[in-house]
Amino acid sequence: MIRFSSLLFFLVSNSIFSILEIEILKGSDNLSKVAFVPFGLESGIEENYGSEISKNIENNMLLFGEFENLAVNEMLSYPSSENDFYYRDWKVLGVDYSLIGKVNSVNALGNLNISYSLFNINRRIKILEGEIVGSEDNIEGISKIISNRIYEEITGLRGIFDTKLAYVINSDAETYQMCISDIDGKNEQILFTSKAPIMSPDWSPDRKKIAYVSFENGLAEIFIQDLQSGERDSIQALGMTNSAPVWSPDGKSLALVVSFSGNPDIFLYSINNKRLIRLTNHYGIDTEPSWSPDSKKIIFTSDRSGSPQLYEINTKSKRKKRLTKDGNYNARGRYFPDGKSIFFVHGNDGNFQIATKKLSSRYIETLTSTSLDESPTISPNGNIIIYATKDGLNGYLGGITLDGKSRFSLPVKNGSVREPAWSPLLN
Amino acid sequence: MNKTLTSLNTSFLILLFLSLIFSMFSIPNLNIDEKQSIKVNFYELIPQDDILFDSSAPDTLIKKETKKISEINEKINTDETSIISKFKINKLDIKNEISKIKLSKEREDILRVSAIIQERISSIWIKPNSLSESLTAKVLINLAPSGEILNFSLIKPSSNTSFNESILTTMNKMTFFEEVLFLERKLFEKNFRNFNLVFKSSGEIE
Repeated sequence: MIRFSSLLFFLVSNSIFSILEIEILKGSDNLSKVAFVPFGLESGIEENYGSEISKNIENNMLLFGEFENLAVNEMLSYPSSENDFYYRDWKVLGVDYSLIGKVNSVNALGNLNISYSLFNINRRIKILEGEIVGSEDNIEGISKIISNRIYEEITGLRGIFDTKLAYVINSDAETYQMCISDIDGKNEQILFTSKAPIMSPDWSPDRKKIAYVSFENGLAEIFIQDLQSGERDSIQALGMTNSAPVWSPDGKSLALVVSFSGNPDIFLYSINNKRLIRLTNHYGIDTEPSWSPDSKKIIFTSDRSGSPQLYEINTKSKRKKRLTKDGNYNARGRYFPDGKSIFFVHGNDGNFQIATKKLSSRYIETLTSTSLDESPTISPNGNIIIYATKDGLNGYLGGITLDGKSRFSLPVKNGSVREPAWSPLLN
Repeated sequence: MNKTLTSLNTSFLILLFLSLIFSMFSIPNLNIDEKQSIKVNFYELIPQDDILFDSSAPDTLIKKETKKISEINEKINTDETSIISKFKINKLDIKNEISKIKLSKEREDILRVSAIIQERISSIWIKPNSLSESLTAKVLINLAPSGEILNFSLIKPSSNTSFNESILTTMNKMTFFEEVLFLERKLFEKNFRNFNLVFKSSGEIE
């Protein structure tokens, strides 16, 4: 019997394996079309929170050019509950996803109860359903939470709408401001203003502090600023200059550059016991360190081979490895959140562009098409890179999604914007 | 006796296993690009004009005449034989050629329709962003001769939910592959009644 079964299996296998197979490798350049239906209101609620919430969600979802929207005046219906929802109304308009919701109640404390549902029109199924309670003073925050959930459901990636950006604004020749804002540019806060240059901001993993370099005392000095209290502490390292601080993923130490007698090398600085551990010791310039997501390695730029190239050092064994060989300028390397690829500034014929490289491959891929790009920073979900670039003399922040479908620039600030640093996600 | 049967059975199973391996390597796995073309090679016929006769006979008139007649006859015979033999070869070749051309035509039709299907799916598949891993998922399609998609199922999902969802969404957008309407019925039944779409993501940043 067993043998007969085996025989049958082989015969069936033979017939199954001979089926025609067509490979689909390329995807479409089109974007998913989402209908953000204005949220309904329970009778008795006077303020039009519904439209405000759906508009906020729409703005968030369209921020990085990853989706297309359906204009409200093109909608055939405005359902706020599943009972009023008809797939055909959206299918006929070429919509891929439709978001509906309702503000159910406002209690005495001013807390709103909001329910929402997301439908996949092509599959004719509800893919997300949720309820959220939040203050009427925090409509933006509520909208960000819903946006994150929708984004995660559609893309499978963590939502980043509640992340923040740190950057330096150079409003005139003598004014430098260390700023943070929401990722959409709203709620900007100036942390520190100086007449001397400020550079290299980096977020602590808990998003409570920022480390940066300031020249306010005449030489490069690293400061750690508490975002709650605004207090600033200088790291009193031993070298002449200290620069390029980067927090370790566990938040216990900083990788930084210390220059003894004019020769910059990479060091680790323990926040608790204020000890310095030397990682590199070379007569060439070693700078711009950055941690691997698992904290085991550090990528840095060095001109030890004659031109700036990227190297990787194991923090325990101190074994080094050269990561880039193509071109004569590869600098400011950073790991992707999965640790399998890196992105950096690649110089070629006077053009400086953002490029990526898989660590397992030798090929470099250029992402941007502008020519003076610098300081790339990646979204914590690994999907978007924001970088500083220039339009004439004006510096602004440009961005690109890694599938290359969307290129965008962030809202213009009053002055040249440089040195962006994307905050981590809050777990 | 039992031992002999067992060993025969084992040999048979080994044979079947080998046939399975062979069949696996002969799976039509089409990865069509624009540069691919179909090449048909026609058989080159070899001329067979050499006629044989006995040149060693004496050169008398009768003999000459006889020889002439015999030569002519022989030539006619030889020519006939040659033509017949040629005809035979040609017939065989033509048969081969027809079957070759038919196969080529079939292959061309399969490639053409597959390329159209590939293009149509690619134009609506919204691939999830930032996939750092290499993924593969396989969908089995069941078509009606009219081209209507009767059924599809994700027979081999990838490890990534978003990737799988994007494929199911894409497949739900498709209702017809009307290109198969112009295929011979036999060819449709053999290749497009049931076929697989293999969705792949290289894991490279695109």
